[in-house]
Amino acid sequence: MLTTVTNPLVVSEGRFGRVLVAFMALGFLALVATGIAAGWATGRNADHTRWVNHTYEVELSVSNARRLIEQGEASRRGYLLTGNTEYRDAYRRWAAALPGALERLQRLTRDNPQQVATLRILRGEIAALLVQRARTIALIDAGRIDAATTLFRTEASVRRLMTIRDAFERMATEERRLLAERDAAQQASVRVFYVILAVAAVLLVLVALASLLTVMRYTRDLAGSRDSLRDFNERLEETVHERTADLSRANEEIQRFAYIVSHDLRSPLVNVMGFTAELAAATAPLGELLDRAEAECPHIVGEDARLAVREDLPEAVRFIRTSTQKMDRLINAILKLSREGRRIITPEPIDPAAVADTIAGSIRHLLDDRGVTLTIGRPIPGVVTDRVALEQILSNLIENATKYLQPGRPGTIHVSGEERRGRVILSVADNGRGIDPRDHQRIFDLFRRSGQQDQPGEGIGLAHVRALAYRLGGTIDVDSEPGRGSTFRLNLPKTYEHQDSNA
Amino acid sequence: MNAHQSVGIVMIEDDEGHARLIEKNIRRAGILNDIRHFTDGTQALHHLFEASDGPAKNGPALVLLDLNLPDMSGTDILAQIKAEGSPLKRTPVVVLTTTDDKIEIQRCYDLGCNVYITKPVNYESFAQAIRQLGLFLSVIQVPEVEEH
Repeated sequence: MLTTVTNPLVVSEGRFGRVLVAFMALGFLALVATGIAAGWATGRNADHTRWVNHTYEVELSVSNARRLIEQGEASRRGYLLTGNTEYRDAYRRWAAALPGALERLQRLTRDNPQQVATLRILRGEIAALLVQRARTIALIDAGRIDAATTLFRTEASVRRLMTIRDAFERMATEERRLLAERDAAQQASVRVFYVILAVAAVLLVLVALASLLTVMRYTRDLAGSRDSLRDFNERLEETVHERTADLSRANEEIQRFAYIVSHDLRSPLVNVMGFTAELAAATAPLGELLDRAEAECPHIVGEDARLAVREDLPEAVRFIRTSTQKMDRLINAILKLSREGRRIITPEPIDPAAVADTIAGSIRHLLDDRGVTLTIGRPIPGVVTDRVALEQILSNLIENATKYLQPGRPGTIHVSGEERRGRVILSVADNGRGIDPRDHQRIFDLFRRSGQQDQPGEGIGLAHVRALAYRLGGTIDVDSEPGRGSTFRLNLPKTYEHQDSNA
Repeated sequence: MNAHQSVGIVMIEDDEGHARLIEKNIRRAGILNDIRHFTDGTQALHHLFEASDGPAKNGPALVLLDLNLPDMSGTDILAQIKAEGSPLKRTPVVVLTTTDDKIEIQRCYDLGCNVYITKPVNYESFAQAIRQLGLFLSVIQVPEVEEH
């Protein structure tokens, strides 16, 4: 019994592949996004670090400048009080270093207009301070300490210093404010980075889960289809067994039928032939009677009677005889075929080349009479099959090749063989008169022949060959071109396997 | 054939034509014994074993047996004739049939058939074979049927 299988074997591989590729692409996309985000965040971080360093540098420069100014003030006062030149030297050193420090500060803060403005005021104040200080130092150097002290008292040095300190303080504060701003921006970007990271992670987990689910479902489908495939296979094997058994039974039936028919046809044939012979025997005395009648009293012999006894009767008997003889040959052919089908096949290892040799030996006189050369293309792969059947097939094919020659061309027959995927193909090729393509199938039918009917035969040989080939689990076909030759190919299983009809 | 007691020939043959041809040719060989013809197995068995004028009750016989009968196989009749304890165990049986199947021939001899002859389809051979059988019948000895 055959059931329609609603194709469980196709787990829409295309769809599965597309879904998986989509998920993987999504996953890679998420990874790339994460990478870009990380790069961006690192860039931001480096930027920030640079700015923090910058701030510290600015602060350092600010305090450095302040220190120079404060120390300069301290040295000037020391010189004013003591007149010790060491203070003056120290003051000069501080004053000499100051322009460099201010220059540096200006360089660091030139991108900030507010700082630049503050620095400009600061520089003004400092320049004024330095002028005052230079005057004090010059008065002391000249020995006019009183004048210097008076100048010191009247000058607004303390207030100016306060202004300078404030300005410095403002610069430092501004710088810290900028740092705080940048810190906030940094925090924001880190947060953005974390958000991107989190989204990417969630996406990756989702993709991984989805992929896992898809793969699992696909695997389950695959397992399911594998199971159904196995079931189907088993069912198929069963079906094949059943069919083979049916076929074998049908085949046996046909053979039995052929046997019984041919057998039962023989019985009436015996009668037909028997009584025809009796009839023929009876015409002899009848003929004698006619002779006597013609001799003794010719007037009683009519033309009709003479014709009947002399011509019609013997002619009828002759026709009945030739027909029944032909019928007998045909029935014998069917009987032979059906008997061949019932013969038990006994497989054994056989070298086809040796079989061909044997056949060539047994028909040597035929080959010599007809001037045919037989060659065997060794080596021919061995087969395990029924010896008698193979011998009959090959001898039929070879004998046919010697029979149907192309006039005016010495015949050659070549027997060869090759192995192909567990089967052995034996070829019998000739250069004879060939077979019309229309007859390539017909020649294997019982009682059918092809071409000019100039050779004796009933059209049984190739039918017999095909029946034997089928019996051995093989096939036979022909490749032929009229006037060029024919090649018969027997395709046999390398090892004969018994087809059990009771399986 | 045995002169002191006439041996009856029992011919079991479903084909009237064959029977006629066989009888004609046996007669042509000079055999004059009584020939009883049966066209089916049941009647033939009845005659062989039960009939008062049949071989089992009344004297020796020779059986000409065709294997293809309408109601049974000739081999069944052969088996009954040659069975252990059959009164006709020693009665010669000539199987005369169209079958020339090797297995069938073996089986008949295994069952105890004395002669197996295939009817040739060619009438000359057929007539020849039957006439030779007739000559053969004219010289063979047929055993007495055992009395019970």
